[in-house]
Amino acid sequence: MNVTLVSVLFVAAALVAAGAFVASWRRDLGHGLAGIPLMFAGAGTAFAGVSRFAAVPAGGAQLLGQEVAVLLSVVALAAVALGVGLAGREGPR
Amino acid sequence: MDSLHAIGFYVSAALSVAGGLSVAFLADRSRRGLALAVVAIGVAGIYLSLSAGFAAIVALVCYGGCAVLLAGSAYRAVEPATGGRWRQLGAIAAAALMATLAYAAYRGDFNRATYFGGTIGSAALGRRLLAHDALATEAVAALILVALAGATLAWRARDRTR
Repeated sequence: MNVTLVSVLFVAAALVAAGAFVASWRRDLGHGLAGIPLMFAGAGTAFAGVSRFAAVPAGGAQLLGQEVAVLLSVVALAAVALGVGLAGREGPR
Repeated sequence: MDSLHAIGFYVSAALSVAGGLSVAFLADRSRRGLALAVVAIGVAGIYLSLSAGFAAIVALVCYGGCAVLLAGSAYRAVEPATGGRWRQLGAIAAAALMATLAYAAYRGDFNRATYFGGTIGSAALGRRLLAHDALATEAVAALILVALAGATLAWRARDRTR
C-alpha cells in the first residue's frame, strides 16, 4: 500500500466535487455554506500533496503548498463566519 | 511513505469524503455540523499523513470552527433561491467537475519525486508565512478583518431591526 500524488489529487478532487455538490444540492442558501469549507479543504489537500511530493529544492523543504493550505483553512473560516452573519441578518428569526 | 502513513491517509480520506457527502444529505443542523467536524478530523489526518503537521493543526481548528458556526444557535435559515431543476443541474455539474478533476489527477502521475520526510515544521512554516510570504499573510489577514467586520455589522443591523 502506497500513497502517490495521484491518490492525493483524487481525494482532493472528491472533496472539491463534494463541496460543489453540497453548495448546489441544499435547498436552503445557508445550508449551502457548508460546501465552502469542503471545497477549500479539497484545494488545500491538493496543495499539501503537491508540496509533499514535489522535488526537494537544494535549500531544504518545499513548504509553499503547506503554507497555502494553512491560508486556505483560515480563509474558509472567515468566509463561513461572514456567510453565517449575513444569513442571520436575512433569515427569519 | 510507510504503511502506517498510507493507512492513515486512506482512512482519513474516507472519513473526510464520507463526512462531506453526509453534509449534503443529513437533514438536521446539528448532525450536519457533526459531519463537518468529521471532515475537519479527516482533513487534519490527511495533512498529518502528508507530513504537514502545522497545517493539520490549523485545519482542525478552522474547519472545526466552521462546524461550530454552522451547527450553532446563531445560524438562521434563508429562503431557497433555486428550484429543483437547477439543483439537479448543479448536482450534474458537480459530477462533471469530479470527472474532470479525476482525469486531471490521473494525468498527474508524471511526478516521481520522493519526499524528504519531516516533522511538524511550524518554525519553517512560520518563517515562510511571516517573512518570505508576508504580503500574502497580510492579504489574508485583511480579508479576515473585512469578513469579521461584515459579519458583525450584519448582526448589529439584524439586532437593530428587532
